[in-house]
Amino acid sequence: MLNIFQSLDISHYIYLSCVLFCIGLFGVLFRRNAIVLLMCIELMLNAVNLLFAAFSEYMGDKDANGQMFVFFIMVVAAAEAAVGLAILVMVYRNTRKTDVSFLDSLKD
Amino acid sequence: MIGIFITFIGAILVLFLGISKQESSSKNLSASFLFLAAILSLVEALGFANFSSIATWAPKTMIDFSQGEMMFVSLLAAVTSAIIAIFPSSNHKGSDKLGLMMLSLTGAFMMIGANHLVMLFLGIEVLSIPLYVLAGSDKLNLNSNEAAIKYFLMGAFSTAIFLLGCAFIYGGTATLSLTEIEVRMSIVGHFAEFPSLVKAGVVLMSTGLLFKVSAFPFHFWAPDVYQGSPNKITTFMAVVVKIAGFVAFSNFLQAFSALSGWNNQWIILLSVLTIIFGNVVALSQKSVKRTLAYSSIAHAGYLLLFLITPMQGNMWVLFAYSVAYALSTVVLFYFNDKYSTNGEFGFSMFTGLFHSNKSAAILMTIALFSIAGIPITVGFTAKYYLFTSAFDVSPIAVCIALIGSAISIVYYFKGFKNIYEVDINMNQLHASKIHWIVYMMVAVSIVLGMCPYLFERCF
Repeated sequence: MLNIFQSLDISHYIYLSCVLFCIGLFGVLFRRNAIVLLMCIELMLNAVNLLFAAFSEYMGDKDANGQMFVFFIMVVAAAEAAVGLAILVMVYRNTRKTDVSFLDSLKD
Repeated sequence: MIGIFITFIGAILVLFLGISKQESSSKNLSASFLFLAAILSLVEALGFANFSSIATWAPKTMIDFSQGEMMFVSLLAAVTSAIIAIFPSSNHKGSDKLGLMMLSLTGAFMMIGANHLVMLFLGIEVLSIPLYVLAGSDKLNLNSNEAAIKYFLMGAFSTAIFLLGCAFIYGGTATLSLTEIEVRMSIVGHFAEFPSLVKAGVVLMSTGLLFKVSAFPFHFWAPDVYQGSPNKITTFMAVVVKIAGFVAFSNFLQAFSALSGWNNQWIILLSVLTIIFGNVVALSQKSVKRTLAYSSIAHAGYLLLFLITPMQGNMWVLFAYSVAYALSTVVLFYFNDKYSTNGEFGFSMFTGLFHSNKSAAILMTIALFSIAGIPITVGFTAKYYLFTSAFDVSPIAVCIALIGSAISIVYYFKGFKNIYEVDINMNQLHASKIHWIVYMMVAVSIVLGMCPYLFERCF
């Protein structure tokens, strides 16, 4: 059976993950809606997951360390999203907005 | 290892035992748990007792505390215990904040002892996630809300960058263990050019860690978050996160010591920029809390100088600086919290302190001396050791750091000026008693300042 991983060079995965990561990065830098920011961060984390899985598959004897790392990232991302959404709900209750540019009261 | 276990078990107990009581009733319990953790780690680090049977529960390839790292665990546990004890507890029901602080501290210990990139990552997250909640723990205060959301977004963003770095290093070295990476890198260093994947990975992971220790140009969240968070949490962030971050950073860079010549270039540059930026911007601040935030950015710059020195066998320099920084920062934040009224943090809160409460004024003066690095306090000796060890690598950076600490005296003296001014309308808050732990901390900072050889002997 033709293995799809063997027919593609690893560099394709690196480029794909970097592109996905950069989409997330620019989203974080340029969008102002907190929920969109959260989604962009998830996208960045998933780009990393893809990269880990690809590297793990391409290691000489199929090193499982990378795949293990992916599970940890997933768990942490879920915990982070839970906390982040809770913070957002708290902010929304006080301001009725989810726009982060609205929050600029902290300055000297 | 014993420190991590006691802190974690204590955190769970405090969370559940205090479920329906006031926060103040669990305060002593959590402070004593942390104090116990600090004492036991210190005893183990000095070699008086051996708790290695506990350490066998965790695989050594993942997490392992050397003697020096146990000293850091002890320091952080003691400082957190002091923070919990001296700051007034909030009026909200439940001991969740204390429990979360202890859980966050567990994460700091995981970072310090991490021997594996997965453990380092988990440590950073276990440290950060409770802190996102704690930063926003003053739920109805808009400033606290803003601090929480800023800290969360910046934290999650830096985590993603850190993880991309991990992935690149994994791709370049085919391993995740820091000891294994060190071995492989030194072999590669003899034969060939380092793969660019590894270099990119080191830069990206360092970026993630620089976010955590708030070094220039990744400092921008720090003043806002420090200002908006409740005082107790700000102190915890300024001390524990920064120290744990630097220990983890130095462990991480040690694994790449084969690359140190290349690493040092950008670390020196960032260090110089952080020192200049932190000190110069702090000059124009009007709020004490923001001044302390910028001063902590400047201190991150001094600590970056440590990372360019040969770190093996030199960890006591970092330890000395951490002790100095922790003691003076906690004392200054304590006074800032005690004398501020209605969330106002102007320097005028200290006006006339010397005339209304002499002992408080003297304690604060010594703390300011220590953070500014004036002799007979531990701040001076720590800065002396740090700068002399960095001087061999980069004399220019040390000269700039010296100029930076000269600038810093200007804004610390704003505090002095107000303390010794005469004020006609006395601040009512000044008369209140100072917690005995604050006296102890100031005493320790003088004793260590006069007997600096104690640091070397502990390692």
